[in-house]
Amino acid sequence: MSGGSGPIRHSASWGRLAAIGVTLIVLLSPFLWLLQMSFKSNDLILQFPPPLIFTPTLQNYTSLWQGAFPASFVNSLMSASFSTALALVLGVPAAYALSRWAGRGKHALGFAILVTRMAPPIAFTIPFFLFYRWIGLLDTVTGLVLVYTSFNLPLVIWMMQPFFDTVPSSLEEAALVDGAPIRVIFLEIVLPMVAPGIAATAILCFLYAWNDFFFALILTRTNARTAPVAVVNFMNYEGWEWGKIAAGGSLVMAPVLIFSLAVRRYLVSGLTAGAVKG
Amino acid sequence: MSENGLVDAARRRFNALALAPSLIVLFMIAGLPAIYLVVTSLTPFQLVNPGSSTDFSSPLRNYRLLPDDPRFVNSLWVQAKLSFWGVLFQVLLGMLLALLLHTQSRIVEFARTFFLIPMVLPPIVVAVIWKLIYTPDISPLYYAASLLNVAMPSLTSSVDFALTAIIVADTWEWLPFTFLMVLAALQTIPDEFSEAALVDGASRLQIFYYVTLPFIAPVLVISGMFRLIDSVKAFPLIFLLTGGGPGSVTEVTNYYAYLLAFDFNEIGYSSSVTVVLLLLVVAVSFGVVWMGRRREAMA
Repeated sequence: MSGGSGPIRHSASWGRLAAIGVTLIVLLSPFLWLLQMSFKSNDLILQFPPPLIFTPTLQNYTSLWQGAFPASFVNSLMSASFSTALALVLGVPAAYALSRWAGRGKHALGFAILVTRMAPPIAFTIPFFLFYRWIGLLDTVTGLVLVYTSFNLPLVIWMMQPFFDTVPSSLEEAALVDGAPIRVIFLEIVLPMVAPGIAATAILCFLYAWNDFFFALILTRTNARTAPVAVVNFMNYEGWEWGKIAAGGSLVMAPVLIFSLAVRRYLVSGLTAGAVKG
Repeated sequence: MSENGLVDAARRRFNALALAPSLIVLFMIAGLPAIYLVVTSLTPFQLVNPGSSTDFSSPLRNYRLLPDDPRFVNSLWVQAKLSFWGVLFQVLLGMLLALLLHTQSRIVEFARTFFLIPMVLPPIVVAVIWKLIYTPDISPLYYAASLLNVAMPSLTSSVDFALTAIIVADTWEWLPFTFLMVLAALQTIPDEFSEAALVDGASRLQIFYYVTLPFIAPVLVISGMFRLIDSVKAFPLIFLLTGGGPGSVTEVTNYYAYLLAFDFNEIGYSSSVTVVLLLLVVAVSFGVVWMGRRREAMA
C-alpha cells in the first residue's frame, strides 16, 4: 500500500486497476446478493450452490404491488416531498439572510445547527411521540413531515449559505441603486443563480427523509407506514418471505441510488453540515 | 438619512423577515422538544400512569438511578466498543481505499462512484442486506464456510460474535464516507511536495510517512470524529440483526433508551438516559467544531 499516494500522477498501472476491480467486487457483493435475490423464486433462493445463470422472475415485485406495499411507498414519497418543500421554503431565504449578514450570532447558529443534525433521533422521538399522542398526529403523514423538517431545515440553511456566498454582491448593489426592493432582487436575480444549489439541497433533504426508519417506526402504525418500515414488517409478520423482502429492499433503495449519483459532489458537505465548510 | 442608510435599513428589515420564520419553526420543532425531554427526565413518567408526567417531587431520581443500573452502564460500554472498533476500521480502510483510488485515470474516476453505494443506501436496506448474509439458510457466507468444512455458529445470536457482526456491517456501510473525505484531502496535496522528496531519494513508504500522512492527518481525525458522533445512531442494524441481544451484548445506549421508552413505557427514565447520551454527543460535536475552526484558521 506504500505506493498508494503516487507522488507523480502517472496513469494507473494494470496491477492497481486489478486491485481496484477486485476491491469493488468484494465491497459490492453483499449489495448485489440482495439485488439478484429479488429476482429469484423462493425455491431458488434456498438452492445451494447458487446457480450462476437462472431465469429471473418478477413474481416478488408483482406480489408486492398487489399487497399493501404501494400505499407505504406513497406515504414515503409524500412525507419526504412535503418536508423537503417546507424546509426549502423556510430555509432558503434564511440562508440568504445569513450569507449577507456579518453579525456575531453566526458561529453560535452554526453550532446549534450542528447539534440538531447530530442529536440521536431518540432525543426528538420521545417528545414528538408524547405530543402527537396528545393532539392526534400519530400515524399521519403530517406528523412525519413535521419531524423530518426538524432535521431538513437546519440542513437547508447550512447547505445553501455557501451557494449564496458565491453570488457577487456587486450585482445586487447595482439593482439596489436602481431602486429595486430587496425582495425582488432576491427572487429575480439571486435565486436563479443558485438554482443548482437548491436542486442539490432538495435531493439531499429528500434522501434523508426517505431513508428514515426510526421516526417512522415509532410515530406510525398502519395508515402512514413508510416503505422502510413496511419492508421490516415482511420479516416480522408475514413469515420469512425472502424474495419479497429482497424486492422491497430493492424498491426502497432504487430512488436513492438514482438521486445520490446526481448529487455525489455534495454528499460529504451534507453529512458534515455545521462543522467544516463543504 | 443617506441613500446608503436607507438601503441598509431595508436590508435589515428583509433579513429579519427572512430569518424569523425559520428560527420560530426551528424553536418549535427542535428547541421545544429538547426542553420537553429535559423536563420529562425529571419525572418518573410512565405511560400507564398519566399523573406521573407532572410529578416533580424528586427531580433527580432518574439521574441518581443511572450509575447503579447495570444495563445502562453495560450499554455505555457496548457503545464504546462498537464506536472504537467501527471508527478505527472505517478510518484505516477508508484511507487505504483512498490511497488505492488516488490516481489519474478515467476508469478509476468512473469507478469511484460505485464505491459510494453502501453509504447512500437507506440504513434499513443495509440492515436487510446483512440480515441475508447472516441468516444461515440463505447466506453465501455460510455456504462458503460449509465448503471449507468450517462449522460457523449463528453469528448474530452468538455471545462472542454478535457485536463483531454489527461492527462489520457498520464498517461496510460507512467506509465510503471516510474514503471520500480522505480522497478529497489527498487531491489537495501539491505535487511538488512528493516530487521534491522523490528527487531527494525518498522511498514511497517514506513519502507516505513524511509527506502524505501529515497532510491527511487532520482529515483522518475529523472524519473519525464524525463517524464517532454518528455511531451513536446505529439503530437499524441492531434492531434488525440482533435486537440488542443475545442478552444485552449488543445493546447500545441508544437502543436501551428506545426499549425503555417504547417497550417498557418508562418514559421519564428513558428521557434521562437520552439526556446523558445527548450531552455526550454535544461534547464531541463541540470538539469537531473547535478542530474545524482551527484547521480553517491554519489554512
